Amino acid sequence: MAHFIEQVIFGLTVGSIYALIALGYTMVYGVMKLINFAHGELFTLGAFVGFVFLVTLNWGGVFGPVLAIFLTALIVSGSAALAGHLLERVAYRPLRHSDRLAAVVSALGASIFLQNVIMVVWGAQYRAFNASLLPTVVWKIAGQSVPLIRLFVFLTAVLTMAALYLFINRTRFGLAIRAAAIDQGAAKLMGVDVRKVIASVFIIGPALGGLAGLLVGIYYGQINFNMGQMYGLKAFTAAVIGGIGNIPGAMIGGLLLGLLETLGEAYVSGAWKDALAFVALILILVFRPTGILSERVAEKL
Amino acid sequence: MGRMFSRVFFWALIGCLAMVFSTGAWAAPAIKIGVMAPTTGPWASEGQDMVKVIEILADGFNQKAGLTGAKIEVVVGDDGGVPKTAALAAQRLVTSGIVAVVGTYGSAVTEASQDIYDEAGVVQIATGSTSIRLSEKGLKRFFRTCPRDDEQGRVLGDKVKELGFTKPAIVHDNTSYAKGLAEESRAVMRAHGLNEVYYDAINPGERDFAVALSKIQAQNPDIIVFTGYYPEAGLILRQKKVKGWDIPMIGGDATNNRSLVDIAEASAAKGYYFVSPPGPGDMNTPEALELFKIYQEKHKGLPSSVWAVLAGDAFNVIVEAVAKVGPDSTKIADYLHSGLKDYKGLSGNISFNEKGDRIGEVYRLYKVNEKGEFVLQ
Repeated sequence: MAHFIEQVIFGLTVGSIYALIALGYTMVYGVMKLINFAHGELFTLGAFVGFVFLVTLNWGGVFGPVLAIFLTALIVSGSAALAGHLLERVAYRPLRHSDRLAAVVSALGASIFLQNVIMVVWGAQYRAFNASLLPTVVWKIAGQSVPLIRLFVFLTAVLTMAALYLFINRTRFGLAIRAAAIDQGAAKLMGVDVRKVIASVFIIGPALGGLAGLLVGIYYGQINFNMGQMYGLKAFTAAVIGGIGNIPGAMIGGLLLGLLETLGEAYVSGAWKDALAFVALILILVFRPTGILSERVAEKL
Repeated sequence: MGRMFSRVFFWALIGCLAMVFSTGAWAAPAIKIGVMAPTTGPWASEGQDMVKVIEILADGFNQKAGLTGAKIEVVVGDDGGVPKTAALAAQRLVTSGIVAVVGTYGSAVTEASQDIYDEAGVVQIATGSTSIRLSEKGLKRFFRTCPRDDEQGRVLGDKVKELGFTKPAIVHDNTSYAKGLAEESRAVMRAHGLNEVYYDAINPGERDFAVALSKIQAQNPDIIVFTGYYPEAGLILRQKKVKGWDIPMIGGDATNNRSLVDIAEASAAKGYYFVSPPGPGDMNTPEALELFKIYQEKHKGLPSSVWAVLAGDAFNVIVEAVAKVGPDSTKIADYLHSGLKDYKGLSGNISFNEKGDRIGEVYRLYKVNEKGEFVLQ
């Protein structure tokens, strides 16, 4: 049982990162019916911007770990949001009225472009975050030793997701986003500024994705320019499982994928863990083709 | 104004013609040598180092009057570390008229390009591809300056025994290189009476190895044998330390990269063993020292691993063969098989056997010290 609890804790940490990235895919899809393939690269960008402030400029030593991470998180989210906004202006807005396939190609192109820009700017080698940035504290939870940083990653992800959920469901602007997701034309007629809504999903999604990149950097300590590919693919899968276009769905999908991978590795075989996780996901899609949480097809967000 | 322009134009034209004639009079057509390397993708840093080393060597030859009067032209093809891309790169390189190609790093990537070069009659010298079967296909024009996995597996298994460990846990990463090395070294360890207590894979490109570590720990091994690459090895060392588990670890030559210590940090990498051909810092042939001097000036630092140096060796033996027998791939291949004996390469003496594999003991045991330096044992 203790072993099982340990694996669940591992799975939730990995899954919460997938979930945070999956939100970016799902929000953009919900409003624009477009899969933003460049989202994984915005995640990578977040990790590298974090690297600049926490390692190159050594803010951890200047401000102390807590303040440094908080400030860096703000800058990382800000710059990823800015990059996301530019991406929308350059790669997607000119194609809004053209074929959906054109937008997909543009998204793939943007992804390759961003990945190579990151490689040229920061180099192809792996970069490492300082392990002594956060003090190594280990807590005992249910008889299991859990490093504080694992909890930190999980809680940051969950709190951010909760804030987003409240924003979407309890504010006027959240209502506008939901309206635009259901029917852009009708929303426009009701006075919703759809352009602003689209711009906003390209700011919120990347901000969360960039934050996930920073968390990966701090937690695992190792980043490289094509890390967004693997995380992007996993997060996209999580978004589909949860029901793409559905925000709580992306959260649940991410956590579920993390758990499936971890348990598959723990109880069957590490060599087979991806295969097992994806078999489980295919089964879910066979029985619920629109994903776990998308029963209300009309209301996408 | 008009007259002035036309006068300038006239002299410019004369200048151009003079240049065309002068080069035409001196130089035979350039001899093209291809380099297929992963200059983008997950191994981009290895690939870029390979190209840097070869460019320095080619410049050196061209300044020294070149090769049988002809200049050497290096044609770079990017394989991206992906077999599919390698096939495309190989097609492009063979149509550009190369006589021989250096490369590449990953075994699966090399494999995807072998037949293309062979059919086009191009000599290929792989530089980091250690998978056994590459030289077992009877390809007449395939060579490599790196050793093979069975050699490495034998040394790895022997060292685990010599260091006195009895309960190894073997971990690979499902790539053809890592799996091959894991199987080879497992066979050797078993022959020594060391039966592994754990044998499984992790996924390359992932970052969380907590589950794998807790599974391995439950089997209570006395050493982890990891046969994968440095990014994952670095993370395993780091996560092992966070976990507070002090168990020795040994790996293969794909972990011979400075980034390993950056990722793991010196305190976690301390005590890590690996077997590898000697790294750039331990190479002391006059040829290597001369190369490193120029490399240091141009790129601030040494190549980060041995593979780029082995690419330089591949390039040098091609140039040597062309100088001896001319730019004919069949003659070059024959010369490399039987004519070339103990050529003074960057990484030591080079000869090839009938399969195209490099002859001679190359592997050494290294250990990481508390400063994170790789120390030859």
